Amino acid sequence: MSIVVDKKHKKRLFRMHWVDWIIYILLFLFAVLTFYLLWYVIIGAFSNGQMYASGGVFVVPTGFTFANFEVIFEDSVFWTSFRNTVLRTATGVVVELVFTALVAYAMTSRHLRCKKAYYWIFIFTMFFSGGIVPMYLLLRILGLYDTFWVYILPAMLSVYNMIIVSNFYKGIPDSLYEAAELDGAGELRIWALIYMPLSKPVLATVGLWIAVDHWNSYMGTMLYTEAGEWTITLQYYLKQLINEASGVGAGSEYSDVVTARTISYAGIIVALIPIMCVYPFIQKHFTKGIMVGSLKG
Amino acid sequence: MDGALIRKKRKKWDARNWTVFIVATLGLLVIVVFHYLPMIGLLLGFKDADYTANLLEVLLFGEWVGFDHFVAFLQDVDFWNVMTNTLIVNLIMLLLNFPAPIIFALILNEVRHKFFKKSIHVVTTFPNFISWAIYGGIIIALCDQTTGIMNPILDAFGLSSAEDPVYLMDSQHIWAVIIISSIIKTVGWGSIIYMAAIASIDAELYEAAELDGVTRWQKAVYITLPCIAPTITVFLLLNIGRLLSNSFEQFNSLQNAVNLSRSEVLATYIYRLSFSSRRYGYATAIGLFNSMVSLVLLVLSNFISKKATGRGLF
Repeated sequence: MSIVVDKKHKKRLFRMHWVDWIIYILLFLFAVLTFYLLWYVIIGAFSNGQMYASGGVFVVPTGFTFANFEVIFEDSVFWTSFRNTVLRTATGVVVELVFTALVAYAMTSRHLRCKKAYYWIFIFTMFFSGGIVPMYLLLRILGLYDTFWVYILPAMLSVYNMIIVSNFYKGIPDSLYEAAELDGAGELRIWALIYMPLSKPVLATVGLWIAVDHWNSYMGTMLYTEAGEWTITLQYYLKQLINEASGVGAGSEYSDVVTARTISYAGIIVALIPIMCVYPFIQKHFTKGIMVGSLKG
Repeated sequence: MDGALIRKKRKKWDARNWTVFIVATLGLLVIVVFHYLPMIGLLLGFKDADYTANLLEVLLFGEWVGFDHFVAFLQDVDFWNVMTNTLIVNLIMLLLNFPAPIIFALILNEVRHKFFKKSIHVVTTFPNFISWAIYGGIIIALCDQTTGIMNPILDAFGLSSAEDPVYLMDSQHIWAVIIISSIIKTVGWGSIIYMAAIASIDAELYEAAELDGVTRWQKAVYITLPCIAPTITVFLLLNIGRLLSNSFEQFNSLQNAVNLSRSEVLATYIYRLSFSSRRYGYATAIGLFNSMVSLVLLVLSNFISKKATGRGLF
């Protein structure tokens, strides 16, 4: 096997067969391709829009400029949608994570009667739903339509995430629970002081999934809001930019150096920066969580 | 403790029972409100709800039309066009996009340099975290006739030219664009689960095989693949259950007026019918049909899988 500590043999064990070379080169090319998708947008975002429009800009920006970003940053709708998305992501993660973990705790508790019934009622919703018109009607009736809370409340409990967290809870030794029970701690206290701290890895993962979902989603804005002051989201705003339907930057002082296309590139970069900044640090959590949840489940 | 005491304890609801009962029921409440109440709204599919201004009134007091909407869409050419798109795209995805992460995981598993493996994985997983709004925007930009890079590339292969550039976002090419772009976006992320499964395979199996002098190809096909088969089964079943479902955002972000005849799938069609055409009843009927077929597909494939391999989702 390849687990050899001896340095002298290492070289021999890693001798590259021609198949290895093909694999390595293919994988490398694929990674380059993935990276290039981003690079392509970056060079567009720093390009002079008018010069960019004549084509052929594939490697470095043409007519380097910050004008595209300045147009975005001067647009008040951008800041509104940015604020809403940040608020939505922060609130969504906290509310969803706490509530999902709490319900997961109850669902793994030995004190819950009729657990099977709860379980099946939860599970069924993963495979069958009312669809968009009934949901629209419900949100209208509840008064959630076109409010900020339309992003938070319906997503408060994700059955899938709940199952992942409860799978993790099942792995926590009973003896811990019994000791706390003997000490007279109530259920909520046991959950908050024993289960929550122990489940940090899975909570980190699930929290990140929730955060990415909130940050990236625009369907809810299209379906259940009018994209107003407190409901327009960053991705929805970007979608308008990309479709060149927003008219941002038209008639501004930069209109001779920007185009709708290059402005949309700048918007994309701005929306990607938060994800790009945290991604390298949290990548392992994404991976860890999917192993915790799915393999046991 | 003697039996009587235990029995007495089981019967009485103490504070712990109440706490977990209340918590679980709160969860149930959220699910009932946001998932089960809308199911009542499915009755709109059997009512004359099209173009109405007051959906609730129609739901409560509207005229029943029975299965009229269902009969109508089953006879509608548009519906069958959308249905064909949905089925063909999803079948191609089942053939290509579903195995892609498995193959990717198997290939990545052959890489013995830890750092290289890790780097490739980090880079290729990233697109999964880009929103479809953004990713769609990138694809549209790449395929642009004057500024996109796709045309010069196709030009190099003699498939396009600067004078007469191919428009990749038209109805002729959109399927290929959707399928390839979606593989690039999801293959890295999708492979994580299979790599986890591969990592949990007992190393002794490989050691024993090595003593027998099997090749790497044989190891992959006769050891790795069978060992991760349970994981593959689960995801295959889920995918079959989704044969009529698509990511709304994926298709919405790539659609334009030119490619709509090929890129319209049930998810986006229902949206358009509901919110652009305001045919609420008709759209709900199609949505219900979609959900029912998906559920039947899932249960059926689960049943077959259980009979054939003894493995299933539930």
